[in-house]
Amino acid sequence: MRRIAVIASIGAIVVAMLALFIVKYEVRDLERALAALDLEKQRHVEAIRVLRSEWSYLNRPARIADLTARYLTLEPVRPWQVRQLRANAGEAFAAAALAHQGDTR
Amino acid sequence: MNDLFVRGWWRARRTPASAADARGASDPRLTTARRRLLIMAGAFLLCFGTLAARTFDVAVIGAPGTVARSTATAPTDSAARADIVDRNGILLASNLPTHALYIEPRAIPAPQEAIAALAGVLPDLDRDRLAHLAASDRTFAWVRRDLTPEQAHAVNRLGIPGLGFKREERRVYPQGRLLAHALGYTDVDNRGLSGFEKAADEELRRRAAAGDGPLALSIDLRVQHALAEVLERTMTAHRAAGAAGIVMDVDSGALLALVSLPAFDPKAPHRSRPAARFNRATLGTYELGSTFKPFTAAMALDMGLARLEDRYDATEPLKVSRFLIRDHHPENRWLTVPEILAHSSNIGAARMAVDVGPERQKAFLKALGMFEPVPLETPERGRPIVPRRWGDIATMTIGFGHGLAVTPLHLVTGFAALVNGGFRVTPTLLKYGPSERAAPQRVISAETSAVMRKLLYLAVAEGTGEKAEAAGYLVGGKTGTAEKAIGGSYRRSSLISNFVGAFPIDRPRYAVLALLDEPKGTPETYGFATAGWTAAPVVGDVISRIGPILGIPPSTAPDATGEEAALARADNERGRHASF
Repeated sequence: MRRIAVIASIGAIVVAMLALFIVKYEVRDLERALAALDLEKQRHVEAIRVLRSEWSYLNRPARIADLTARYLTLEPVRPWQVRQLRANAGEAFAAAALAHQGDTR
Repeated sequence: MNDLFVRGWWRARRTPASAADARGASDPRLTTARRRLLIMAGAFLLCFGTLAARTFDVAVIGAPGTVARSTATAPTDSAARADIVDRNGILLASNLPTHALYIEPRAIPAPQEAIAALAGVLPDLDRDRLAHLAASDRTFAWVRRDLTPEQAHAVNRLGIPGLGFKREERRVYPQGRLLAHALGYTDVDNRGLSGFEKAADEELRRRAAAGDGPLALSIDLRVQHALAEVLERTMTAHRAAGAAGIVMDVDSGALLALVSLPAFDPKAPHRSRPAARFNRATLGTYELGSTFKPFTAAMALDMGLARLEDRYDATEPLKVSRFLIRDHHPENRWLTVPEILAHSSNIGAARMAVDVGPERQKAFLKALGMFEPVPLETPERGRPIVPRRWGDIATMTIGFGHGLAVTPLHLVTGFAALVNGGFRVTPTLLKYGPSERAAPQRVISAETSAVMRKLLYLAVAEGTGEKAEAAGYLVGGKTGTAEKAIGGSYRRSSLISNFVGAFPIDRPRYAVLALLDEPKGTPETYGFATAGWTAAPVVGDVISRIGPILGIPPSTAPDATGEEAALARADNERGRHASF
């Protein structure tokens, strides 16, 4: 009985130690992967910064205006193309009210 | 085995010596050895037991503490300075990573070959300087800063020992010159040196460190572009020395555009002329001329010293001691207040100013902030030049805008208060400005402001500002042409032509200012370089361009039909007859 207990405890220790080794190496691999990912992320973040600046640079109003004039038939918005939703809503409201008046009469 | 010993030893202790002898374990040395062995075994058991327990804990149960440590090391976006965006989120300034190449002369084995190889990659390198550096016994020297990633990679591939890189950051301005004066620029160590960059230096660093994201300006890039383009075109056409322009929200004081021309390249500010780095819109102080007359009219009307139908004698030039005040467009008759503004009569304005008097004029202009630098998020803020003796003559000349030099920003800020219902505004470059605007400070009454809007509309519709009329919008504003004071006397050929207006003038939303420094006449303007021919058309053009961008519904009908426009005009004229 005692012998079994001793052997079992020794076995448990061996298993635990093996498990520890495995975990240790796994952790080391994961940390390496994490460092690599961090570096990659840093590169991506920097790349995004560069791309954003480039995007802003390519969208300079002067350049867009030039490209539009050359390749598109679009024209700048004229003042009369702006309509106010509220005024229309008001007209619609008034028209609806008047129509309602007609019904009741 | 072990427990057999223990049992034997235990029994040996308890039983008399004779009994122990009987078992054949009577040697006392053996007993001592057994005891020591036991103590050692106990100690080892304790140690290994602890280790086993810990091993079991780590390997099987798992220790949460170790996991937290790893994730905390992940780096974040590490720029030294926050980005700046416009009010619509378009990037205006950002930090980009660059590489700075340095040399350790003592560590280079074959300097001549290294330099030759390096020059192959960076052709514009100063080889003599580098050879000199490499031969010296310094330990460290910069070769070149701001290398692009490709260049850095190429240098790295040479594999020369003794060369190294330091990662740096560099401020870039994708919009280039367009916002040069509003944004300013930084030095190589990312410290703000001028403009918004300097004023908001700490805030930009704090935001970068705290990860608060970009800082949003009140500037609207589209409006900025429209204003800059029209100004630049006019400046070239009139061969002007410079130009300035501002678009301001008359209620909040937010600047949608801030232009000073000629502009400089913020990437290399020191390669430009000092004149190009000078901010004419916020730092330059000018005697602005007739654009001050609305202030004179507003103070006289608001204090009840003048009524609209009151007439002022403008039949002949006004002689005050040794000065002669004359009109540029003489009418040679008695003029009403609306006529004084529309015809831009110096004599009328001077007479009106005299009625107000120096003290009240001073108090009024002070309330509009005309004596102090305008608060704005930029270090380039001009201090007005106020006359030392403010007597009757100064009162008269300031009545039509001479003798008091202010910045264009002062003018547009004061003008906003005249048309927005009478509240003083605090200009700002921030999209989300300071909260002090919660308590508006009244300068003139709402009624006076309403009258001023009509007067300013007339000055455009019937007066000198005719060319500021914009397709689709009712504009109200005033021209101003002043001779520049150079070396103590005014020069007839050096003009400051400016125009300040607001639109839609029936319910103003934005004030627009344009200023041209020393414009020259052209055949198209019949040789005139005055504001009505130079600055006023700029404002008209800009308004019809930015109105739709800002979503302002048009006040007038399209010209194509014509009739409605005429009707709207007639309506206004009827309004004028009714009220004046």
